[in-house]
Amino acid sequence: MSRVPQHVPFELGGAALRDAIIQYATNPIYLDADDWQNHDNPYRRQLRPQILPHLDFDRVPGRENILDYPSLAAQRLLTTIYEADLVFFPKSGLKGKEEDFRAFYSPSNRALGEKIRPALERYAFGFLDDEVETSGKWTKASLDSYLDSLEMNGGDEQSPAERAILGSADPRRAARMWLVQFTADFLSEASPMLRNVLGYYGPTQSEWFKVIIDEYGYGVHDTKHSTLFERTLTSVGLRTDVHRYWQYYLNSSLLLNNYFHYLGKNHEHFFRYVGALFYTESSLVDFCRRADRLLREVFGDSVDTEYFTEHIHIDQHHGRMAREKILDPLIEAHGEGIIPDIVRGIEEYRVLLDVSDGDFSAQISWMDDQPELKKLHGPVYEAIREGRVEAPVAHLVEPFNELSNTHCHEGDELCHIVSGTMRFESGLDSSLILEAGEGVVIKRNRLHGADILSDECVYEIHSVGDYRSCLL
Amino acid sequence: MPVVSFSVAGRDNCVVVGGTAYVYATVKGRGFVMNAQCPHRGGPLHLADVTADGSQLVCPWHERKTATARLRGRIPSVRTGKRVTAVIPDQPVSRGYAAAAVCGGATSREHRPLSPSITTPVTES
Ligand code: FES
Ligand SMILES: [Fe+2]
Repeated sequence: MSRVPQHVPFELGGAALRDAIIQYATNPIYLDADDWQNHDNPYRRQLRPQILPHLDFDRVPGRENILDYPSLAAQRLLTTIYEADLVFFPKSGLKGKEEDFRAFYSPSNRALGEKIRPALERYAFGFLDDEVETSGKWTKASLDSYLDSLEMNGGDEQSPAERAILGSADPRRAARMWLVQFTADFLSEASPMLRNVLGYYGPTQSEWFKVIIDEYGYGVHDTKHSTLFERTLTSVGLRTDVHRYWQYYLNSSLLLNNYFHYLGKNHEHFFRYVGALFYTESSLVDFCRRADRLLREVFGDSVDTEYFTEHIHIDQHHGRMAREKILDPLIEAHGEGIIPDIVRGIEEYRVLLDVSDGDFSAQISWMDDQPELKKLHGPVYEAIREGRVEAPVAHLVEPFNELSNTHCHEGDELCHIVSGTMRFESGLDSSLILEAGEGVVIKRNRLHGADILSDECVYEIHSVGDYRSCLL
Repeated sequence: MPVVSFSVAGRDNCVVVGGTAYVYATVKGRGFVMNAQCPHRGGPLHLADVTADGSQLVCPWHERKTATARLRGRIPSVRTGKRVTAVIPDQPVSRGYAAAAVCGGATSREHRPLSPSITTPVTES
């Protein structure tokens, strides 16, 4: 036998990883936009490549740092990489966008994305390894007890996100922001799930397929769930082209959606997906019932909620199907050794829901608090000027329509306008106009951006860390 | 089988089901739920030392050793953040020391100090 060279597994880290990420993200379709929304172009996603040289994707963040900017950057990258497997066309046709189309689906873009995907997945989902840990000897009987004990999303009790909408100063704006968070998932609904349809793995494969048949409206486009969701969006004045609202996606909304792509793309995590699927399908009934009620309360009768009411009907079956036709037979076929992964998937999904609830509620408060945070500029700037607080400062000069595409920071910052006019963006339909001498306190982890409305704007960013320390 | 959720540290870090106390322990960075009583004479296993290689817990009363792998392998559980959910077997297998007889499956929570060698390291930001 001839000598076989040693196999070296693929691994990417350090400078090589950073360079590869930059190479991927500098594709012209990923550069900054000069508008807050994308215009019927599913290939354009703002990845802010100019910031990537400063980020370290080797050190996996714990849960307490999961909403920091590097995680948002990683989630945006991953969404873009995963979606190269999905087919998207502009609603108004491809004409004029052929180049973007080719740039998005090109072998180069796909290969570059695949190269950085494992490292980004480790960065994005690594915190779950610490957050969820199974132990002990799980049997079918103990799993049954555990599943029976799960409270599926609290029935009628409102989630923190739902409470945030109803308690908001502007419930309609908050509800639109909420619906926008779902568009990344619902317009291409069930695509991650379809990743597990391919292959050849016995009767479970057909059961899995049945769940998808329902999602896809039995091949009748009018009943496809994404069509129903488009009607919901339209009925409240939102547009339905893919990733129009890319810059308004919260970190955790992408995290939640990417989680399913991650499990579906990496089949070694198949059983975690089974767990997460069981939990979603079982908890969605109550969620949709509450969503239907909430949207009616906020928008009145003009809102189309069929997307949610349809799920109330069909998901009652899906929860049962997932347990009896997918979960149980899989354990029968592959043994109790798969149970810890199933349990892990359930618990991980619940963690992500929790992260997402917290992130969204905080963003709604952030939007509601804008006038207050503008006023706070006064005392905070005063503390800096008088030298009571020392904070690193960046001096910036930007020309007209220089759009700082949305992002967030690891600590609180103070924005202070020296001259010119800035539009400070803090969410969908949420902005401030800041003139010379004015400014705003920018809170840690909160999504924001800025646009320059004057010929030129001179401003300062003071990294104060915790703005409250300036008010003592 | 009773399913119980409790805290991995601090107040209420011990759950008592049908007279048997359970705590969450961590050895070599990996956690598990275990019976807090020593199988010998019911000594406080939650105050046990761990052998240098992590393979055994040593009871403070008569220094009887219990294999970590055996403890690890018993109670199915899942920790999420600082809480753990465990499925308690219906029949606590009491080899040797028998837990105090109880009627019904009453569940209560209490605090039990853990020896440093089986305490979950607190991850701080
Ligand atoms: S009670 Fe533990 S060694 Fe005796
Ligand atoms: Fe900023």
